Amino acid sequence: MTETVLSVKGLHKKIGGKPIIHNITFDVFAGEVFGFLGPNGAGKTTTIRMLVGLAAADGGEIHIGGISLQDQFPQAISQVGCIVENPELYKFMTGRENLEQFARMSGGITLERIDEIVRFVDLERAIDDKVKTYSLGMRQRLGIAQAMLHRPKILILDEPTNGLDPAGIREMRQFIRKLAEEEGLAVFISSHLLSEIEMMCDRVAIISKGKVISVGLVKELMEQFADQVDWTVQEASVPKAREVLKGHPAVTEVWEVGDGRLKCRMDVERVSDVNQTLVREGIPVLGIATKTVTLEDLFLTLTQGGGNRGTEHAGIGSK
Amino acid sequence: MGQSMLGLVQNETVKLLRRRRFLVVVLILAILIPIFTYAQYRSVVTAQERMGTSDWRPLLTQQIVDMQNRLASSRLPDEWRDFIKVRIQQQQYYLDHDINPMAPGGPTFARGFMDQAVSMFLPMIIVVLAVDLVSAEFSEGTIKLLLTRPVRRWKVLTSKYLTLLLFTSLTVLMTLILAYLMSGVVFGYSGWTLPILTGFEVTGGELETAGAFMIPQWQFLLLQYGLGWFVCVVVGTVTFMVSVLVRSAAAGMGIMMAALISGTILTQMASSWESSKYLFVVNLQLTDYLNGTLPPIKGMTLPFSLTVLTVWAIAALIVAYTVFIRRDVTS
Repeated sequence: MTETVLSVKGLHKKIGGKPIIHNITFDVFAGEVFGFLGPNGAGKTTTIRMLVGLAAADGGEIHIGGISLQDQFPQAISQVGCIVENPELYKFMTGRENLEQFARMSGGITLERIDEIVRFVDLERAIDDKVKTYSLGMRQRLGIAQAMLHRPKILILDEPTNGLDPAGIREMRQFIRKLAEEEGLAVFISSHLLSEIEMMCDRVAIISKGKVISVGLVKELMEQFADQVDWTVQEASVPKAREVLKGHPAVTEVWEVGDGRLKCRMDVERVSDVNQTLVREGIPVLGIATKTVTLEDLFLTLTQGGGNRGTEHAGIGSK
Repeated sequence: MGQSMLGLVQNETVKLLRRRRFLVVVLILAILIPIFTYAQYRSVVTAQERMGTSDWRPLLTQQIVDMQNRLASSRLPDEWRDFIKVRIQQQQYYLDHDINPMAPGGPTFARGFMDQAVSMFLPMIIVVLAVDLVSAEFSEGTIKLLLTRPVRRWKVLTSKYLTLLLFTSLTVLMTLILAYLMSGVVFGYSGWTLPILTGFEVTGGELETAGAFMIPQWQFLLLQYGLGWFVCVVVGTVTFMVSVLVRSAAAGMGIMMAALISGTILTQMASSWESSKYLFVVNLQLTDYLNGTLPPIKGMTLPFSLTVLTVWAIAALIVAYTVFIRRDVTS
């Protein structure tokens, strides 16, 4: 029942004779938010440029809604809405004039549709002001409006929360979830932030040095790489501490490290909660260290094939 | 996919007007034409004061005498000698047939203005219009929006080129209208039917007046502004190519200014470097062929110049389209 909206097979790209993108393959389905995760310089933007026809691929195929992007560009791209890097718009025109420009290029877009999309992104009050007076958040919303104007099947957004303040990021996150869940759109998002992908996406492709090193459900990925907390207690109370930690609702997994130390995977925000419980149970806590999994750790683990997460030698959990 | 070319041209027109490019062009014309009008007026007054008469015949006779005196100078370079000889023959013809070539009036000013403006002033104005037509989209990043629409790249570029042609034509038209209206305040608005001598042929430095004939000034203006329009289209097309190749408007402006200025310099000193006649910037003074002025380099004729300009324009378009369609868009 899930329709494949974007299909990428064996994508290659050379820049200046140097291979930049190696054999990238993935599918994006309708109604899902698909994350494209990788550090800066991994080839995310280069890949996105090829997906929207700004750069030509040196090998491989891109199909959008079953139509080849390379062979039937207008038909394929008409199903795509995108913001590549920043939402660049014509600053010397009003928001509405910008939308009218794109409406004329897509065809079949009525004035009512423009009004509708302006309401949808909540820009009614500013739409007749020049874009140069807009805040970054407003530009981002106008960018979304131009991307959504022609009712695309897939929205491709390059680092959509870049430069937004925390409130703007939260708003954007909710907005993207809404598009996928309520409108049934496929949304493709690139990011270099693991936390962002975790909060927004259903599935994720992890890219490093121009290669996709893993594609899968975000939930499964996060179960492997959740944040950790290191507890140090007196050697003697380790077994009891272990029992208490295991029984706490905020903790998902516990294992002993030795030297009176216990590691557990848990919600980092509830550290003090868990600490109180330990103290109440009469276990003296000597030290607490929270460890956040960084993207670099994740890559190290994935690329080095390490799955050895229960030990101190695992490539995750280090500060 | 309902994107008509008309809609695309409409988009480009809106952008060009919103960037105030055409406004700048009209303002430049509206400021400079009165200045030239005043300069023209002063020179007429000064000449009359010197001659002590407002009659044009002694004035013309005096000009002929002046030129003959210069011919007698031994230091005069050869190319100037030929040029002056032709000029004398022509002035003599006007005198013999009782035609006042300097009869003041709006149309006459418009004619003189185009003669002066065609190789430098008008091309510069067209450069202002065309120089960032494509490069601004790249420097502002909006090219990413433009090329991710269901429109093929050649269509996007064509819509820009058609818009440029439209505004080039409007600029030439505005030049004629403003030159006529503004100078008419001083010189009057008559003179459309004044007979103008044209059809000269230059063979080996000799002016052939055999083929010369008279046409009313309005017809002459039509021919002249038509040639001016063609020059502007060619300069616009070359600038268009530069706009595709160079990302910064300042660099594009610099390249085109250097080209146009070196063209002016070359026409004045390149008579011994014959192959420079294949450069487009040396062929911009098309209206001189109507006036019977000697070309800067021997062997240049109106058909020759038109061919050179056409070839340059076609080559520029081929380069512009090839690069624009193939190029990857990067930030």
